[in-house]
Amino acid sequence: MQPLRQPLPASRRGNPLPAAPLLALLLLLALQEAAGAPAGSGGPEDSGWHQDTELPRRLLSQAARVALHFFNFRAGSPSALRMLAEVQESRAWINQKKERKVDLVFTTELYNPEEGNKRLGKCSARVFFRNEKPRPAVNVTCAQLIEKKKRHEKDYQLYKRMKQLQNPVDVVSIPDNHGHIDPSLKPIWDLAFLGSSYVMWEKTTQFLHYYMAQLSRVKQWKTNDDAIDFGYTVLLHEFSTQEIIPCHIHLVWYPGKPLKVKDHCQEPHTPEEASGTEEGSAVAPTELSNF
Amino acid sequence: MKPLLGTFYILGMLVPGGLGYDRSLAQHRQEVVDEIVSPWRSLETYSYNRYHPMEEIYQWMSQIREKYTEVVTQHFLGMTYESRPMYCLKISQPSNNPKKIIWMDCGIHAREWIAPAFCQWFVKEILQNYKDNSRIRRLLKNLDFYVLPVLNIDGYIYTWTTDRLWRKSRSSHNNGTCFGTDLNRNFNASWCSIGASHNCQELTFCGTGPVSEPETKAVSSFIESKKENIVCFLTMHSYGQLILLPYGYTTNKPSNHEELIQVGQKAANALKAKHGTNYRVGSSADILYATSGSSRDWARDIRIPFSYTFELRDNGTYGFVLPEAQIQATCEEAMEAVLSVLDDVYEKYWHSNSAEKAMSTAVVLSLLMSFISLL
Repeated sequence: MQPLRQPLPASRRGNPLPAAPLLALLLLLALQEAAGAPAGSGGPEDSGWHQDTELPRRLLSQAARVALHFFNFRAGSPSALRMLAEVQESRAWINQKKERKVDLVFTTELYNPEEGNKRLGKCSARVFFRNEKPRPAVNVTCAQLIEKKKRHEKDYQLYKRMKQLQNPVDVVSIPDNHGHIDPSLKPIWDLAFLGSSYVMWEKTTQFLHYYMAQLSRVKQWKTNDDAIDFGYTVLLHEFSTQEIIPCHIHLVWYPGKPLKVKDHCQEPHTPEEASGTEEGSAVAPTELSNF
Repeated sequence: MKPLLGTFYILGMLVPGGLGYDRSLAQHRQEVVDEIVSPWRSLETYSYNRYHPMEEIYQWMSQIREKYTEVVTQHFLGMTYESRPMYCLKISQPSNNPKKIIWMDCGIHAREWIAPAFCQWFVKEILQNYKDNSRIRRLLKNLDFYVLPVLNIDGYIYTWTTDRLWRKSRSSHNNGTCFGTDLNRNFNASWCSIGASHNCQELTFCGTGPVSEPETKAVSSFIESKKENIVCFLTMHSYGQLILLPYGYTTNKPSNHEELIQVGQKAANALKAKHGTNYRVGSSADILYATSGSSRDWARDIRIPFSYTFELRDNGTYGFVLPEAQIQATCEEAMEAVLSVLDDVYEKYWHSNSAEKAMSTAVVLSLLMSFISLL
């Protein structure tokens, strides 16, 4: 069982990864924050922050997941989506306002791995939860898992396959109730996961976190500039309440361009419905090669 | 209504005169049904790599009972809210040895389909291998298995007919405006104190009182009646890849916490050795979230020493809608974990005595030998 605050030996996976560059990364993040903070010497001990010794373990994987949702959305690449493998190192701080800051190092694997290639990519992140408020601030950096050129190529393949799909897509749900996704429909799932990543990040708080359960009602529209323009309903599973939240998502995507997402979710048992819009900024997430 | 119609349809096909099938007399009619329903599907062709609707699971249980009649009996636990019979299978090697009991239930939450699939897999593995496999044979010398393949039958059927992501039971509340109790918040373990809701609209609705639901009552009474002999209580869920110990309703640890962690971690290691899958081990309050009224906590509180919740695959990629293509691997690795727990339980209650005897015998013998060699 992983101890909360102690870093694991680097050779854990039989694949020694240097600890020094990672610590340097974390230090860099801390320094960046210090530079921006009016008070404090770069250590989170100031500004009312003190180390959080009672951090519930579930918050670690929750923080890693939301960092990944944010990373996936910003990368805007449905063929290079990542999922969480393991949280390896963590430190957490809490302040009087019950806000939490979590520094993490975690490994990721590709959502769509290439045949037999189950490489792990390291990420480091700082996640800032503002008590019960959603949209945690995320700073995340990941080691490259797919070469840029290859990624663009795969995205373009996916784009072509989406274009070839019949419209409207004649399917009740993806996956079907037995978990099966027809290979011809896989691009839809991947693109929907990309769009849903934005929504899941947008809704995550310290207490609420989400998974994508199932898709229904897919509809594609033509655009003038040949972008993929499609709408779908995703059923999100919120873990602490166990609720299923239907969200209507409309996204516009072209390979290599930032993703545009509009969403409209039904909150359970409340008359108000929450919605959001985002355009992916032009800033690509930092990638480190040769890691 | 559909399952009733389904069964009725099948019976209607086979018995042209028609046979009135009154579900409330299901338990008495079981023998009649067995005779008439000549297997339209035989056990040989039953696929453990597919998800099965409830009618097929009922059939499967009958066929298992028929085929393995020397070790399998079926026990009636009670009726569900919608008046369906709840049956568990008892696997017991007849002998004069005193037996302890292992309980396993699956499908307390309707949408967690991989769990009932695992219960069926487990039964199949035990029965297909108990004669040739020394590990399983040994377990059956002193352990009886009680397996409840689907606890929340009404909910499970509902996920097949209406809403794949339904979780709760199908009890009616607030004048028929709200349905379902979270059966895993309905047990008498710090009932509804935390991590559960008094509001029927919510998915963690704890019911109108502890053990208010017929399904909970059925399981509770059965377990209570045998609790002196139950050493292990396993309840199977998905998803999350976790092996959870008590408690959920408090961060206090049970008296055997260290042992539970050790046994759990050993099980997770055995699981990982199979296909490389990572399961985390810990108390529910520590690694999941606070919950009250869970069956696992209740089992521990009535002094069943080894009480675990398994959250099977996956980690959120497909979640509840786990592809059938993953059933086999999920079940194979979970089987290793469960067998590991059972081995540890067996060692604790039976092997240590004989090990001590073997040890002391060996010591005496070697002393004798050295004495003789000195003469």
